[in-house]
Amino acid sequence: MSAARLDPVTTAVIAGGLDSIAVEMGHKLARMSYSSIIRESEDFGCALCDADANQLCESVQSTPLQSGPIPGYVQGIERRFAELGLGWRPGDVVIHNHPYYGASHQPDVGLIVPVFHRGELVGFSGTTAHHLDLGALTPGTCGIVDAGDAYAEGLHFNALKIEDEGRPNEVLWQLIRDNVRAPHLVVGDMEAQVTAAKIGAERMAELIAHHGLETFRLACADVMDYSDRMLRREIARLPDGTYAAEGLLDGYPDHPDPRYRDLRIRVAVTVKGDELTVDLAGTSEQIDLPLNMPFVGTVDLAVWVALRSILLDTDTHDPVPTNSGLFRAITITAPEGCLANPRFPAPTIARFSGGNLVADTLMRALAPILPDAVSAGTGTLRIISYSGLRDGGHWVYMDIHEGSYGARRGKDGMDAVDTLYANTRNNPIEDIESHYPLRVTQYELREGSGGAGTWRGGLGSIREIEFLEETGFSLEGEGSVWRPPGLFGGEDGTPGRILLNPGTDREEELPSKFPYRKAKAGDRVRMLGPSGGGYGPAAERDPAAAEADRADGVA
Amino acid sequence: MSRVVGVDIGGTFTDLMLFDQMAGAVHVHKVPSTPAAPEQAMVEGLVELCRMAGIGPAAVTGVFHGTTVATNAVLEFEGAEVGLITTRGFRDVVHIGRHQRPQHYSVVQDIPWQARPFAKRRHRHVVAERIAPPTGAVVVPLAEDEVRAAAEALRADGVGAVAVCFLFSYLNPAHEERAAQIVREVMPDAFVTTSAGIVPQFREFERFTTALMSAFVGPGTGRYLERLDAALKGAGVEGELHVMMSSGGVASVRAAAERPVTLLLSGPAAGILGGQWAGALSGRDRLITFDVGGTSADIGIVTPDGVAEASARDTWVGGYPLLVPMLDVHAIGAGGGSIAFVDEGGAFRVGPRSAKARPGPACYGHGGTEPTISDAHLVLGRLDPERFLGGRMRLDRAAAEAVIAPLAGELGMDPLDAAQGILTIANANMARAIRSRTIEKGHDPRDFALVAFGGAGPLHAAEVAELLGVPEVLVPPFPGITSANGLLTSDLKYDLMRTVFMVEGAVDADRVNRELDELEATLRGWLHADGVDDADIEVQRALDCRYVGQGYELRVPLAPGPFAAAALERFHALHAKEYGKAHGDPIEIVNARVTATGRRPTVDRLPVPSGDLANALVATRPVRFPGPAGLVAHDAPFYERPHLPVGAAFPGPAIVLHADTTTVVPPGWSAVADPAGNLILTRERAA
Repeated sequence: MSAARLDPVTTAVIAGGLDSIAVEMGHKLARMSYSSIIRESEDFGCALCDADANQLCESVQSTPLQSGPIPGYVQGIERRFAELGLGWRPGDVVIHNHPYYGASHQPDVGLIVPVFHRGELVGFSGTTAHHLDLGALTPGTCGIVDAGDAYAEGLHFNALKIEDEGRPNEVLWQLIRDNVRAPHLVVGDMEAQVTAAKIGAERMAELIAHHGLETFRLACADVMDYSDRMLRREIARLPDGTYAAEGLLDGYPDHPDPRYRDLRIRVAVTVKGDELTVDLAGTSEQIDLPLNMPFVGTVDLAVWVALRSILLDTDTHDPVPTNSGLFRAITITAPEGCLANPRFPAPTIARFSGGNLVADTLMRALAPILPDAVSAGTGTLRIISYSGLRDGGHWVYMDIHEGSYGARRGKDGMDAVDTLYANTRNNPIEDIESHYPLRVTQYELREGSGGAGTWRGGLGSIREIEFLEETGFSLEGEGSVWRPPGLFGGEDGTPGRILLNPGTDREEELPSKFPYRKAKAGDRVRMLGPSGGGYGPAAERDPAAAEADRADGVA
Repeated sequence: MSRVVGVDIGGTFTDLMLFDQMAGAVHVHKVPSTPAAPEQAMVEGLVELCRMAGIGPAAVTGVFHGTTVATNAVLEFEGAEVGLITTRGFRDVVHIGRHQRPQHYSVVQDIPWQARPFAKRRHRHVVAERIAPPTGAVVVPLAEDEVRAAAEALRADGVGAVAVCFLFSYLNPAHEERAAQIVREVMPDAFVTTSAGIVPQFREFERFTTALMSAFVGPGTGRYLERLDAALKGAGVEGELHVMMSSGGVASVRAAAERPVTLLLSGPAAGILGGQWAGALSGRDRLITFDVGGTSADIGIVTPDGVAEASARDTWVGGYPLLVPMLDVHAIGAGGGSIAFVDEGGAFRVGPRSAKARPGPACYGHGGTEPTISDAHLVLGRLDPERFLGGRMRLDRAAAEAVIAPLAGELGMDPLDAAQGILTIANANMARAIRSRTIEKGHDPRDFALVAFGGAGPLHAAEVAELLGVPEVLVPPFPGITSANGLLTSDLKYDLMRTVFMVEGAVDADRVNRELDELEATLRGWLHADGVDDADIEVQRALDCRYVGQGYELRVPLAPGPFAAAALERFHALHAKEYGKAHGDPIEIVNARVTATGRRPTVDRLPVPSGDLANALVATRPVRFPGPAGLVAHDAPFYERPHLPVGAAFPGPAIVLHADTTTVVPPGWSAVADPAGNLILTRERAA
C-alpha cells in the first residue's frame, strides 16, 4: 500500500473537479446529439485520461460499456500512430473505432482530443457513442449478424485525424457523409462528440493550470491508488482459491455446423491475497460470424464492471471513483483464437451478448464465496434495428429491449431492466411513434416468468411493435435457448422468444438473432425478454410475498 | 392596501414575516415547529406576530405558505393507495420505466418505482383506447364500460386516489378527461387526476409517474391545506391562504390541491425568491442564491430574465422523475451539520451524511460525537460561542475540539489544519455545485453576486465566491428567514403547456397562435377566479424547440403579439450559448408554453436604521484563516449586525453576528451595510 503523495484536501478538490468535468461532457453530449440511441438510450461514454492513458474519471450519465473502454481507444490510437510514425499535436481530434486497436466494437466510435499544458502532452479527453449506421451491408449497426469478417461490418476508422492541428479534414467528413445511411444524424452525433470532447479538454487544461501540473499528477496518482486500495481490501477478504463456472450462448441455433451453436463461455477466478486472476480458457473457439469479443474494450470491461459491481456495490459501499486504479489488482487472460480473444479479421460487431454472459458467468463463479453480493442468472437484452426509405433517404431506428436480473439474497430480481455491463435506457413510445412508421402495441411484464425461489427472479418484458409501412429489420440478441440459471436451489428463469405475427395464421417463431429481413405494413413483431433465475428453494418463500405475487398477477 | 404574512414551516422552526403595506413596515417572528399539527405553530406564530405589529388577525389580507408536506409524503413514502387506469397493453410502463438501473455498479440495489410503486400492479387497470400521433387521432375509441368496471374494482379495493394515464394524451386529452369523469361518478370521494391535466408533455413514463405521484400525495396534501385554512379562519384571519409552488409562483389552495405535485419544491423555491428580492433591493439582478442550512446547500440562479428553471428531464424527487415546471434548485449534501470523516480507503470526506437537528454538531452539546462543519468553524474561532443565535444558544468549544482531534490524528494533521481542511473541502464541494449551474450553462460567475443566507450560508459565502471569481456577496436583511420573506415577494403564477411538434418550413403559425391563445385563456380564467384583474395580469409565451432529431429542448421566449415563424431564429443563439455551438439544421417546435402572472403588492423597500461601528463591536478574538504558509491567527473584530453603520465600509478579517446566522469577512474582503438593508461583502484583491 503506497502512502499518499499529496495532502488529502487538495486531492479531494482535484478529484471532485475531474468528476464534474466528466459530468459536464456527458450532459452536453446527450443534449446535443441527434439519434435516439444516444440522446434517449444514453449509449455513449465520456472520460478523461492522463498521458499514460490511465482513466481518471468518467461521466455518470453514460453506460459503463462506453466510458470504460476509452483508455483502450487511446492506447489503440497510440499503437497505430507508432506504426504510421504519427504523433499527437495541439488541435488534433482523432476518430477511432478499430476493434483490433482497442475499440469496444466497430459501431462505438471514439473521438479523442489530446490535452496539452505548456506544450507538453498531459492527457486526453474522450467520448464514445454507438452510431446509427456506419455503412455495413444492411441498415443499422446492430443485427449485422451475418458479417463474415471485420470488413463486412462497415467503415473502420483507425486513428484518423478528423481535425489536424485545428484544421478539419473535410475529405474524411465527406467520406463519412457519402458512406453512411442517415448521414445527417450520424454526422450530427459525431459533431456533438467532438464538441463534448473539446469542452472536456479545455476544462482539464484549466484544472491543471489552476493547480499546477505536478500537484495535478500527484493528486491523480493518489486518487487511482485509493481506488486500487479499496478493491484490494475487498479481494483480500475472499478465501484464496479458484472458482469456476460456465455459461452457454445460443449462437446460431439453425446453423448446420455445430461449432456455431451452444457456444461456451468458461470463467475461472483465482483469488490469491489481494489479487485476482480471471481466466477464460475453455471458452469456445472463435467463429467467422460476429459473436467474437474484442479482448480489449469488451471482455476486460465485462470482467471489470462485474467485479466492481459485486465487490464495491455502490448500494452497500461508499462511492469509489471509477478510474484505472480500480483494475490494477485484476489480471485477465484468454487464449488467443477463442471467442474472448479473437484473431483479426474475425468479425466482432455483435459481441454484446457474449460479453454480458462473461459478466454473468463470472458472477456465478463467485457466488459460493459471495452469496450476499451476487444475483442468480440474468437475462440479456436484444437490440433490433428498424429501417426504411422515406423522402429519398433512410430512416433507421434501433430499439433496445431489456432483459432482467436474477434474484438476490433477501430481494427479488429487478424486473425488465438493462443488465450487468450495460445500462442504457429505452426510447419512449411517444417518441418512437412520433418519428418512425411504427406503432408499439404492448409493453408489459411477462407474467409468471421469473425463476421461482425463496426470492423470485426478475420478470422480463413483452414489447410488441406493429409496422405501419414496409420496413426492414434485423435482430441481435441471445437467450432464446438457454435459461438464466437459478442459484442455491432457486429455479431457472425463462428464455426469451421472438414471434412474428403472433396469434395469426402467419405466426412465425424467430431465433434470437437474424440478419436484415423485410416486413409488410400490418406485420407485428413481438419480443419476450428473458426472466432471471430464482435464489434459494421456492418452498421457503415468504407466504406474504407469494400472496402479493398472486394479487399482482406475476406469480 | 394589503397586510400579508409569509409562513415557512420547517422541521425545527416555523418562520413568519408580516408586510404591512399601509404602514410600510415589516415584522418577523420565529417559533418552534409543531410537526404533529403544523397549523398550531403557524396560528400561534401568526397571532403573536400580529400582536407585535399592533394589528388584529382579521386585518391580515393574505397568508402565503411554503410547505414540505408533499415532499415529505414522497420522501417518507407515506401517501394514498393509488389506482392507475391506462391504455390496454401498457399496464407496466410505470414499473419498467426507462429500463435503466439508478446505479450503474450495483447488483443489490432497489429500483424505487419497482420496490416502492405509487400504484401496486393489482391496482393498475387497462382499458381499450388508443390515440396516435401526429394529430392525436383516435385509433381505438375509449371503452367506457371498461373504465367503469375498473373504477368499481378500485372502489371495492379501497383505493383513495386514481390517476388516468393514456398514451399520447398530450396530443388529445379527450379520452383521459372522459375516463376521469366516469371515475369521479363511480368514486365521488376519490382524488382523481389525469396525466395531461398535470403536464401535457411527451415521454410516457415520466408523465404517468408525475400523475401517480400527484395522486399519491393528493389526498394528504388536500387534507393538510384544509386544516391550515380552517385553523386560520378559526383564528379570525379572513385573508385567503395561498401556497408556493415549485415553479416560484403562488397558487390558491384550490389550484394547489388539484395539482399537489406542483408543490414538491415549495420551500426551496421560496428561498430563491427571497434571495432574488434581496438582490433587487440593492439593484442586483445577476445572482447566485446560496441557502445553506444544517444538511444541505441549495443553489439557484437569477438573471435579468428571471430565476433559472429546471429542465423537466433533470428533475427527480425521492428517486422518481417529475415533469412539472420547477425553479432550478440544485441541492448538495453540505451544511453546518455535515460530518467529516476518513473513509475506509483513507480519503478525507465531508458530507453528505449530517448530524441533522439532533444530535446536531458536537458543539451544540446535544451528544454529537462526530466532527461537523460547524465544529470546524468554532475551533477556528469563526463562531462566537457566547453569542450564537443572538445569544440564545451557547456553543461548546471543548466538545468541538474533542471530535476534531481524532480526525486530525487519523489524517496525521494538526487539529487546526484538519478543521481548516473540513472547510476547504466543503467550500470546494459548494463551489463545484455552483459551477455546474453557471460555467457549465454558459454563465460567467464573475458577472454575478452571491446572495448568502440560511444558518450557514454567510459563514462560507466569501470563500466560495473567491473560488469562483465572484466579486461580491450579499447577506440579506433577514438571512435566517429568507424563505418566509420570499413568500411575500412572489406573484400569483400559473403555467400551462402543450406538445405540438412542428418543423421549421412547415410551421402552422395559425395553429401555434391558436394553441397559445387557448392556454392563455385558461390561465386568465384561473387568475380571475383568484380575484386578479386583467390589468394586473402579465403573460409570457414561449416555445420549447430543438434541432430536428435532437431529444432535448431549449425554451425560446416569444415577444408579445402573434407568433410568426421568424421568431424561431433566436433558437440558434440560445443553442450556441448553452452548448457552445449552433447548427444550420431545421428547428422543431416541441411544446407551446404560456405563463400567466397576477401581480400583487410586494415589499419593495425596508426601513434601514444605521448605527456606528464602535457600538456594533462586541469582541475582538483570534480567528484563523489560511495564509500562503499555513494558518494565520488574526485578531478579528466581532460586530453585531443591527448596529452597523450604513455606508461605512470596514475591512476583513471581521465577523458579523446576525440574530440567526454569522457572516465571515475574510482577509482581503471588506464589508458594508448598504442603505437597502443588505450587508455587502466585496473582494479587495484578486484571488
